[in-house]
Amino acid sequence: MDVSQYLEIFLDETNEHLQNLNTQILSLEQDPENMDTINEIFRAAHSLKGMAGTMGYKRMQTLTHDMENVFSEVRNGNIKVKADMIDVLFQCLDALEEYNTNIRESSDEGTNDNGALIKRLNDIMSDGSEGSSASAGQTQAPQAQAAAEAAVGGFVGIKLNESQQSVLSEAIKQGKGVYGLTVKVQESCILKAARAFLVFKAIEETSEIIVSDPSSQDIEDEKFDLHFSLIIVSEADLNEVLTAARSVSEIEDVSGSALNLDDVGAAETEESHAAETEGAAAEAPAQTVQPVPAAQTSAETPAEAPAESAQTPAPTPAPAAKKAPVNKPVVNRTVRVDIEKLDTLMNLVSELIIAKNSLVSASAMSGNSSQAVNEQIEYLESVTTSLHESVMKVRMVPIESTVNKFPRMVRDLQKKLGKKMELYMSGEETELDRTVVDQIGDPLMHLLRNSADHGLESAAVRKERGKPEVGSIFLDAYQDGNNVVIEVRDDGNGIDTKAVKNKAIERGVITPEQGDAMSEKEIIDLLFNAGFSTAKVVSDVSGRGVGLDVVKSMIESLSGEVEVKSKLGEGSTWTIRLPLTLAIIQALMVEIGNEKYAIALGSIQTIEDIPPSDVNLVQAKEVIQLRDLVIPLIRLNEILDIPSKKDPEENLVVVVVKKGDKLAGLVVDELIGQQEIVIKSLGKYISKCKIISGATVLGDGEVALILDANSLI
Amino acid sequence: MNEVEELRPVGETTQFIVIKLGDEQYGIDIKYIDNIVRMPHITRVPKVDDYLKGVINLRGEVIPVMSIRIKMGLEEDVETKSSRIIILKLEQQGTIGVIVDEVKEVVTLENDRIEKVAYDSKDENANFLSGVGKSDGGLISLLDLNAVVLESV
Repeated sequence: MDVSQYLEIFLDETNEHLQNLNTQILSLEQDPENMDTINEIFRAAHSLKGMAGTMGYKRMQTLTHDMENVFSEVRNGNIKVKADMIDVLFQCLDALEEYNTNIRESSDEGTNDNGALIKRLNDIMSDGSEGSSASAGQTQAPQAQAAAEAAVGGFVGIKLNESQQSVLSEAIKQGKGVYGLTVKVQESCILKAARAFLVFKAIEETSEIIVSDPSSQDIEDEKFDLHFSLIIVSEADLNEVLTAARSVSEIEDVSGSALNLDDVGAAETEESHAAETEGAAAEAPAQTVQPVPAAQTSAETPAEAPAESAQTPAPTPAPAAKKAPVNKPVVNRTVRVDIEKLDTLMNLVSELIIAKNSLVSASAMSGNSSQAVNEQIEYLESVTTSLHESVMKVRMVPIESTVNKFPRMVRDLQKKLGKKMELYMSGEETELDRTVVDQIGDPLMHLLRNSADHGLESAAVRKERGKPEVGSIFLDAYQDGNNVVIEVRDDGNGIDTKAVKNKAIERGVITPEQGDAMSEKEIIDLLFNAGFSTAKVVSDVSGRGVGLDVVKSMIESLSGEVEVKSKLGEGSTWTIRLPLTLAIIQALMVEIGNEKYAIALGSIQTIEDIPPSDVNLVQAKEVIQLRDLVIPLIRLNEILDIPSKKDPEENLVVVVVKKGDKLAGLVVDELIGQQEIVIKSLGKYISKCKIISGATVLGDGEVALILDANSLI
Repeated sequence: MNEVEELRPVGETTQFIVIKLGDEQYGIDIKYIDNIVRMPHITRVPKVDDYLKGVINLRGEVIPVMSIRIKMGLEEDVETKSSRIIILKLEQQGTIGVIVDEVKEVVTLENDRIEKVAYDSKDENANFLSGVGKSDGGLISLLDLNAVVLESV
C-alpha cells in the first residue's frame, strides 16, 4: 500500500513523540518512581512502534518494540530505573532520531540495525525478570500484564452509565441478546477509523450498539490502538454478528460473547483476576473472550438484586491503575497547515495593507474626503490591523519545540565534559514566528555549549572559589515590546578579557596598540570575529573556530541582534533580541533629497532637532551631545549619494537609532510619519547593498527602501 | 557556445520580441518574457553597480531593473514615450526587468535563419549575443540573456 502521502504526518508525529520521550525520560531520571511518567513513556513508545509498523519501517519498529518491552517491565515494577538504563534509553532515542532523519531525507530508514542497542535493552530485560522471578515466583506476571495491556480494548473493562445499564436490562428482559465484542484491526491497516466505521455499519445492520470503548468519537478520530470494544444489543445470533463484522477487510479478528447484565459491573471488580487469567492466553490477545465466562462464574455469586448498587461503586476502586494510560493530556484541537499556505495568507494580508495605504493616500490627495469616507477608512484600518495580527499569531509558535531538546543536551554535555551543571529554563511558552523558531535552535545550542564548555568551571575550581559545585546555566525567554529576548546566562568564569585580547593580538586580528586602546566591551565583541576561539583545547563540544561569528550572523539574518555582558569570575549573559515578526513592521518614513526611506520603529530611540552649531568634531567625525551622551552623526545623504535639499543653516533632523548599547544619529531631510509597512525582499540580484534591508510598496505604488540601522552603526 | 541554440532542431521556429536600443535591433527569446510594462517610477538603490537602475513595483512585487545599455557600454538610457521595461523570468536570477528604448514587434524565425556569432574576446558586445537572425525587417542581434543579466564581478 502506498503510504507516501502519510509520510509528512508520520515524520511530524514521530518528532513530537521523540521530543516527548526525551522530556519524559529526563524527568524520569530525576524521579525514577513516577508512574505517570513511566506510563507516558510507555504510551509514546507504543505509538511510535505502531506508526513505524504502519509505515513499514521495520528497524524502527523493532527498536521501539524492545524499548516498549523494557517499559512494560518497569511499569510492572520488575525493573528499577537505573542510571545506565537511562543512558541506553537516550541512545535509543538518538538512534530513532537518526532513523527519522534518514526517512526525512530519503524516505528510507537506512540500514543501521542498532543490534548493540537492542541487545542492551534485552539485557536490561533479562536482568529484570531474573530479579522478579526470584522475588515473587510468579514468572507469568509480566506476561499477564503485557496481555492485559493488549486487552485494554477488551469489552470486559467497559463501564456503563445508568441509562445504558437500563437499556441493557430492558433488552435482556425482552429476550434479546446482549453481546460484548472486541475487534482487532490489522496492524498494517492505515485508515483504522474507516475500518472501524465499516465494522460499526456491519453490526448496526442487525444490532444496536449501546456503548463502545474507546468512545465512538475517539474511534472516529482514530484515537485507538488496534482494538476497540463494543457492547451491542441484537436479536440476531452472536455468530451472525461476528461473521458480519469479520467480513470487513483489514480486520484481523472479532471476538465476542454473550453478556449477562451483572457481568459488566462485576467485570470491573474482577478485572485484576481476569487479567491474571488472561496470562494463560498471553500471546493471543484476540482471545480475550475466554476470561469472560470465568468472570461470569465468579460473578454469578452476588445476587441479582444489588446489580444496580454494584454499578455505582464499581468505577471508583478499580480504575486507578487502569485509568492512568487513558488519562491523556488534554489535546488541543489543532490543524496542521502547510507553512506555505500561511505565507500566501500573509502575502494577501500584506497586499490588503498596501491597498489600504493607497486608499488613505488617495483620499488625502483628492482633498474632498467626506466624514463618511474617513470613518470607513479608519474602520478598514482597524480591521486590517487586527487581521494582520491574527494571521501573524497563527504563524507564531512557542519556542518550546526548539528549547525542549536542551535539557537533554546539557545532560549529555555534563557527562562529556565531566562538569556538574544544571539548566534552568523559563519562558518556553514565549511565541515567535515559525521561521524564526526553526532557525534559532542552532545559535542557542551554540551559546549553551559555549557556556558549558568555556563558561562553567570544573567542580573543583568552583568549590575553591566558593561557588556551589553544580554550575547553573539559565535560558530565559520573554517578550519585550515588539521584540522577543532570549537570554543565556551562566554563573561560570565570565569572559577573561585579557586572554581574549592576547589571543586577538596573537591571531593578528588587532595590533597590540589597538588592544590597549580598546574598552572591555570592544574586546568582548572581538569574540564575534570569524575564526576566534579561546578554548585552549579544541573539544568537539565547542571551539572548532566556527563559533560565535556564526551565531552572530545567523541571528542577524533573522533581523535580530546578540550582545554579551560578562563579569570575570561571576559569569556571562548572552542576550539575543529578535523581532516578533519579519513580514510587517511599524516604520518611520523619512525623506532624504527626493527619495523616501523607511526606518524600523523598533530601532529608533528618539528624534531630535539639532541646531548646526551643536555639531562638534571628534577625530574628524561629527558628533552631537545628547543628555551627556556623545552620539556620532551619520549624514544619510552622503551615505546614500543623494544631494540634500536642505539648507545647511537649518536645524538638523536627527533620528537617533540604537544597536545594542550603541547609538547613532541619522541625519535626514524631513520626517514623513509613521506607517505600517510590508517588508519585501530586494531579491538576491541586488544583494550587494548592505545598508538596505528590504523594500516596501507605498500607498501611491512607489517603492521605498528600508534602511538597516544596524549596519549603519 | 549557447546551449539553447544547440537544442533547437533545424526546421523549427523560435519567436523573438524585437526591441530597439539606439539604432540597433535586438531580439529576446519570447519564452523568457513574463511581461512588458511602461516605464514606472524606478526607485534608485544606492551602492550598487550603475547598470542596476533600481527597483519597481510590479503588482505588489518588488522587482530589480537593469539597463542593458549601460551593461553593454552604450550611452545612458533616455526615457521617452516608447521606453518600456521587459520583465524577464530567468531560472537563476529570478524575475528581473530590463529597460529598452522601444518594443517593435514579434518575429518568428526559422532556426536555419539564425546564425551563431563567433566568440570574440575583443568585441565585448558580441559576448552578449547568442546569434544573429535574418528576418524580412533586416538583421536582428539575438541577446544571450544569461550573459546580459549576469552580475559583473
